[in-house]
Amino acid sequence: MALARRTQLALMPIVAATVIAVTAAAQPKVMPGRPKITPGATEPRPSKEGVDFFEKKIRPVLVHSCYKCHSGDVAKAKGHFVLDTHDGLRKGGDTGEVVSPKHPDKSLLIEAIKYEGLEMPPEGQLPDEVIEDFEKWVEMGAPDPRIGKAANPKNKVDLAEAKRYWAFQRPKEPAPPKVRDTAWPRSDIDRFILARLEKEQLKPVSDADRTTLIRRVTFDLIGLPPTPEEIDAFVNDKSESAFATVVDRLLASRHFGERWGRHWLDVVRYAESTGKERNVPYRYAWRYRDYVFDSFNDDKPYDHFIVEQLAGDLLQTTNIAERNKWIIATGFLALGPKSLNTNNPEQFKVDEIDDQIDVTGRAFLGMTIACARCHDHKFDPIPQTDYYAIAGIFHSTETLAGVSAGKRTATERQLLTLKGNDKTLKEAKPETKEQAAQQEEISKIEKHLDDLHRMQKQAMRKPPKPMPGNRRPQGRPPAAKTPKIDQKRVREDIKKLEDQLDELEKEPTPLGNYAIAVRDAGAPADFHVLVRGELKDKGPDVPRGVLTVLRTYQTMRLSNPKHSGRLELAHWIADKMNPLTARVMVNRVWEHLFGQGLVDTVDNFGALGNEPSHPELLDLLAVQFMDQKWSIKKLIRSMVLSRTYQLSSAHQSSNYEKDPGDKLLWRRSRRRLEAEAIRDAMLMSSGQIDLERPLGSPVMELSNRQVGGNKGMQEVRKATNVRSVYLPILRGQVPEILAVFDVADPNLIVGKRDVTTVPTQALFLMNNPFVLKQAEQMAKRILGQSGLDQTGRINLGYRIALGRLPSEHERSDLAHYIDDYRKAIATGNAKGNAQLAAWTSFCQLLFQSGEFRYVD
Amino acid sequence: MMNDLFNQLFSRRQLLKTTSCGFGFLALADLCTRIAAAESTNPLAPKAPHFKARAKHVIFMYMGGAPSHVDTFDYKPKLAADNGKSADGKGNGRKLLKSPFKFSQHGKGGLWLPEIFPNLAKHADELCLLNSMYTDVAVHGSATSELHTGNFRFIRPSMGAWALYGLGTENAELPGFITLNGAGGTANFSSGFLPASYQGTKIDAGGGDKKGGSQLANIANPRLGAELQRKQLNMLSQLNRDKLGKDQINPELEGLIESYELAFRMEGAVPQVMDMSSETSKTKEAYGIGEKGTDNFGRQCLLARRFVEAGVRFVELGAGGWDQHNNLKAKLTSNAHGIDKPIAGLLEDLKQRDMLKDTLIVWGGEFGRTPAAQNDDGRDHNNKGFSMWMAGGGVKGGYRHGATDEHGAAAIDKKMHINDLHATMLYLLGLDHEKLTYRYSGRDYRLTDLAGVVAKDVVA
Repeated sequence: MALARRTQLALMPIVAATVIAVTAAAQPKVMPGRPKITPGATEPRPSKEGVDFFEKKIRPVLVHSCYKCHSGDVAKAKGHFVLDTHDGLRKGGDTGEVVSPKHPDKSLLIEAIKYEGLEMPPEGQLPDEVIEDFEKWVEMGAPDPRIGKAANPKNKVDLAEAKRYWAFQRPKEPAPPKVRDTAWPRSDIDRFILARLEKEQLKPVSDADRTTLIRRVTFDLIGLPPTPEEIDAFVNDKSESAFATVVDRLLASRHFGERWGRHWLDVVRYAESTGKERNVPYRYAWRYRDYVFDSFNDDKPYDHFIVEQLAGDLLQTTNIAERNKWIIATGFLALGPKSLNTNNPEQFKVDEIDDQIDVTGRAFLGMTIACARCHDHKFDPIPQTDYYAIAGIFHSTETLAGVSAGKRTATERQLLTLKGNDKTLKEAKPETKEQAAQQEEISKIEKHLDDLHRMQKQAMRKPPKPMPGNRRPQGRPPAAKTPKIDQKRVREDIKKLEDQLDELEKEPTPLGNYAIAVRDAGAPADFHVLVRGELKDKGPDVPRGVLTVLRTYQTMRLSNPKHSGRLELAHWIADKMNPLTARVMVNRVWEHLFGQGLVDTVDNFGALGNEPSHPELLDLLAVQFMDQKWSIKKLIRSMVLSRTYQLSSAHQSSNYEKDPGDKLLWRRSRRRLEAEAIRDAMLMSSGQIDLERPLGSPVMELSNRQVGGNKGMQEVRKATNVRSVYLPILRGQVPEILAVFDVADPNLIVGKRDVTTVPTQALFLMNNPFVLKQAEQMAKRILGQSGLDQTGRINLGYRIALGRLPSEHERSDLAHYIDDYRKAIATGNAKGNAQLAAWTSFCQLLFQSGEFRYVD
Repeated sequence: MMNDLFNQLFSRRQLLKTTSCGFGFLALADLCTRIAAAESTNPLAPKAPHFKARAKHVIFMYMGGAPSHVDTFDYKPKLAADNGKSADGKGNGRKLLKSPFKFSQHGKGGLWLPEIFPNLAKHADELCLLNSMYTDVAVHGSATSELHTGNFRFIRPSMGAWALYGLGTENAELPGFITLNGAGGTANFSSGFLPASYQGTKIDAGGGDKKGGSQLANIANPRLGAELQRKQLNMLSQLNRDKLGKDQINPELEGLIESYELAFRMEGAVPQVMDMSSETSKTKEAYGIGEKGTDNFGRQCLLARRFVEAGVRFVELGAGGWDQHNNLKAKLTSNAHGIDKPIAGLLEDLKQRDMLKDTLIVWGGEFGRTPAAQNDDGRDHNNKGFSMWMAGGGVKGGYRHGATDEHGAAAIDKKMHINDLHATMLYLLGLDHEKLTYRYSGRDYRLTDLAGVVAKDVVA
């Protein structure tokens, strides 16, 4: 078609050709592949101005505010009226003609949107200026260039119906239920849990003992085991508030943020490289990691935490440190996996946007919005236009992750520069002249390479043939005669340039004052639907906006030409009116403390998710969370101080019969320690742990080239004793100990990790040098303690690793074991230290035990 | 350092043979009783099937990304004839795209196969094409779980875990369910609510761009010999069982205990099974090992044979990159090349060893692709119709089961849902999919949940 048009063009006088070309350009939505239908046989062809006006002002509103009820199949449409086609709009519906061209006062459409009689759209009146636009449009004769069928008539979303879904109702504070055993509950949480148990005729088991409890809460709150001293202090504290004292100490610990921040990093697919085919490091991702840890430590109100991550760069402040922090926060949007193999920058951009929509939707709202990229969501009331309303916001946002489409390496040039002199910046040096020159050189070579690649490609492309069925809307300009090039020469040149680049990029640039972040693009604008998600199938424009089903105020206009709309989006999410935000977060916290969420599918509150096991409790927690100024620490405190949290994990057969999965919380479910906690607990036991936060990340030592074969990888792989949350997380190169124990895959949004039990974990604990080393260090620690006999040593080992004393039975078995083992070595003509070897084996045993790997 | 100090006099095998209860210390008698008790309820012990099994082992070749059926195993002459025509609503206004490959008939059964599988075509009479597959969703992640577990919404036990649960395993020194590529995350080879010991074990097949060949991490202890490690594990087992006694019911701990025992046995058996040095260079060559493009899958195939030979119940292999939204011809050509020779090599090898008759090979992806074009030279997702194939293990060879419509858009004849596939696979293993149940949370669950019909037509 494109070719045909060009041929036609060539045959026309110049003036006429110009006119046609302009008209064609003004009708980007017209599918050239479709049969031409002159709009309205008796109607004159709409003028260019008319078409422009329709496309800019009218069509987006129709799509956004009317299509949901008035499009597609006429028989099924509300009032048998559709306005997604020219003919439908002209014809009207049950109430007769809707538009009377040139007569706004006689047009039912105008009456309806003015809320005179009919009130359309029913969700709320359109803004005044929009109504004026419609009046003007009708006055112009209601120009409507649309032909054929609407783009998306299928799978219409019934929003009115959808709004009744439980998760879209604002949580209301429920009255605590009556319980029979009024002595049992300590808080409203307990009342809800007990009421349900009583209803199902289950009885909560006994409370956990103190040694169990302190181990549980210490791992849960800071991800480390309690020290023997901490255990003693709690066990011997006879005051009523003994447990609250422990909880408050842990909440105030600087390790709290490392534990809970890591939970958040799981959800936001945090990693320090792009992943995919060209795995290029994000050398400054760690700033976001530290920001998250600090935020949890500072008990930053969760609503503000949301706003900072989505739009921190747009918040006003004069404080430089704060400004830096808020810029770093937007790394949330920038850190996703990216496919640098994608050469088309626009494709790269829409893929990046998809990641941003996905993480925003699921992390904050538990909504799989990204499912609506190619079509209306199949299960949730999210029309495709909603996806592109949000896409417009991110399309108006520039992502500075240091990487771009089709590039082999990262560059500091595409990062945001931080100002000031806080600790992490002190080491940073401004780019020297030499480095600047080097960067310049690199850019030059890259550009040259791009040109060569393009030449090569063009030369290889066969001359274009008009293919039947090839319907490219615009078509590329006809390739002028394929240039003849010396392929061999080009290949050689490419090789030479690549070698030069390799040489230039070999060394990592020194740590700079950069952040991976986002900022508003130069000219924010609305985006348009990509039909079936395909770049070249442009659909109608969609004004920037939020989920229609959750629009809390109709008049919110995001399509401000000066802003991306990110700040508005952030405020809409972090709004008490939003029914999902608080629920999703309290549920995440609950899941980490109780083992399963009240909504088990923590990242999906949509129709494919599970319904809450305790809907009223979920609402109570959500409302209290918001009332407590979105304080995560207060939320956690209220949960762990409940009696439910403090139950033992004892078995009870009649309960187990009815509820083997402990969905109703009649006991504490045993939990496997997370990968990080297993490693940290071994390092704590051996006394080797380095509890300080390291400055930055080993990933900074990498050069900007691909991870594989990168010179700095030795640094990345170097064994350190820092807490596990500070280990480098390169996509596809997650440290073995973390991977073996089911750490979150950093390519995915993971609210709930897998828990597997496989022999590869056993092999790790049996044979891995790290484990052997920590066991030996712990043995040395025990043997180094003066004044301990064998019993004392076994006791100490138990207290360090398992937080309790061994039973008499265990003690004697182990004493025999150690003696026996020592003898076996001593007689095995080995010259090693039999004593150390025996105690090392003892310590390793403790690491291997189920009790070490699980928390009761 | 203690390195090399503790090399033992006993070989591990001797050790296992002569000291079934480990080393003598005071708790010996007690321990022996416990181990005996545990052994009688060993969840992995071989179990009798429900009825006569046609196949004893499964090799499942998972083609991640959803291979195009109309360009591989579902020959569509009408699609070629209608090339460029509108797909009449079936392709959202897109145009039909003929396959860029030539098809021809092979073997006595006359199956139509494309030119990109020249080696596999030689074994056409072993293939049982399933041309009428369909599944519930056209989203990679969900459909991949459905293919592996029968369900796309929830995390459920994988088919390998069900097979292990139904039949146990014949070699207690190896995992009964091995996945060589760990396709699509752990949920696809998890045991779900089944006991943890049925979970798949992920092994790195090596090869390709990886150095050092196949390996299982941490398979050997750098310091301890087998004797001392056994001693340690005996003590560990005792501690864990004490705890289990206290907890009364603790399935995770049971799985954990079993995982150590298995790990210890694996230390002896795995390196032996995975050591391919005993294979002749002719065999390796037949699998395409050492050859560019085919090395990785070739290794997987040869390892699969060695595992099956050693008694492993279920082995999953994988080759990804079948998501051809564009660049169909080039990518499919190279993908097909990557698996063609290795699969042919495997079929030949199994035949020669008389193992094909009781080894069921299943090939396929999570869904298929549209007959209509996307991006000029690609195809979109299609869950309404696609193809898989089986070979060996009691299925008809040179046979084609079911069909899609004339263009390959949707299955129309003898439609086969993923649940039907699973029912059929279990049937071939001698298991009645309606009887293979597990009670969880108040009801009996099946791999096929509430559906599944055995495709008896495919059974030889």
